Amino acid sequence: MLYLELFLSFLLIGFTSFGGMSMIPLINDQMLSHGWMTAQEVADIVAIAEMTPGPLGLNCATFAGSRTAGALGALSATLGVVTPSITVCLLAAVFITRFKENRLMEHALFGIRPVCIGMIAAIVVTQCQNNYAGTLLFGVSWQAILIGVVALVLLLKFKWNVPKTILVSAALGLVLGG
Amino acid sequence: MKKEKAARVWDIFQNFFRFGCFTFGGGWSIVAQIQKEYVEKKKWITAEELLDFTSVGRSLPGLMIGNASVLFGYQAAGLAGALAALFGVIVPPFLIMIGVTVIYGLVKDNPYVARAMMGVRAAVAPIIISALVKLFKAGMKDAFCYVVAIAAMALSLFTDISNILIVVMGAAAGLIWGEVRERRAVS
Repeated sequence: MLYLELFLSFLLIGFTSFGGMSMIPLINDQMLSHGWMTAQEVADIVAIAEMTPGPLGLNCATFAGSRTAGALGALSATLGVVTPSITVCLLAAVFITRFKENRLMEHALFGIRPVCIGMIAAIVVTQCQNNYAGTLLFGVSWQAILIGVVALVLLLKFKWNVPKTILVSAALGLVLGG
Repeated sequence: MKKEKAARVWDIFQNFFRFGCFTFGGGWSIVAQIQKEYVEKKKWITAEELLDFTSVGRSLPGLMIGNASVLFGYQAAGLAGALAALFGVIVPPFLIMIGVTVIYGLVKDNPYVARAMMGVRAAVAPIIISALVKLFKAGMKDAFCYVVAIAAMALSLFTDISNILIVVMGAAAGLIWGEVRERRAVS
């Protein structure tokens, strides 16, 4: 059953992700392996989720659930992704003083953080393969690469925020075509 | 007493609903809003407590905002408060995203939208890179971290091992490395 599958898939994503961007590789994996989305659609969700209010993981769950199985699908995916907050975190709320400096949790996170960094780097590679592919010279799209370089400079050098950068990139896409 | 608690739960739901409408750019904006409403104005919690909620919320699996909301809500008004905060903060983005998805489905194949989306997709890798730069500073502490990060990247790119399993392996490696470091420090 699709609703249950969506719920379980986002439950797994929720329990193995630790906020923000670290969710993207997991979502990418689950979406592609279930055939619920193309890599291009995953790129679209990241951009759309960054432009709309709400945490990235929640927006991705709603978008993915809604695209694959309508409003009920969105509800199933969302409930899956918030389950860690209702279970593990609620327990932590009851015992907050003991959770504050938990040695084992700190050790586990010491390994999880670099894993997230590695997986996010891998996502950059696959996203580049997908989004800069074109029909021109060397099989790349020079427009997409140009926009990518502009976006990177705006974000890193000029410290622009993400929604503003996305708007400029959309405008450049419209002008340059592709 | 009971009435007062019900009023608190309702207050939390209303305010978190409002926070949920304006949480752009990750979890920090909502932390700032909790600070303003419940630390400075209503004085329900202290600034230290809020800091604890965010650091515990970040170190537990799941959405950081969801976790911080549950921790705050529970402290302020028990179980009902925790659920009020969580659902308050997720309902607005949920409704907005359903609308956005419908619009996305309708306009995706429009030629102008397709051109704009080409530009947007081209910006996604830079967006992820800029997030990666920040994470790099916070997460890469020693040689162990570099080995684990490179291994995770390679496993994710070149094997069929699911990313979920890679996270679990990272947690195990972290636990083992933590033991090793502590034993070394003792001897």
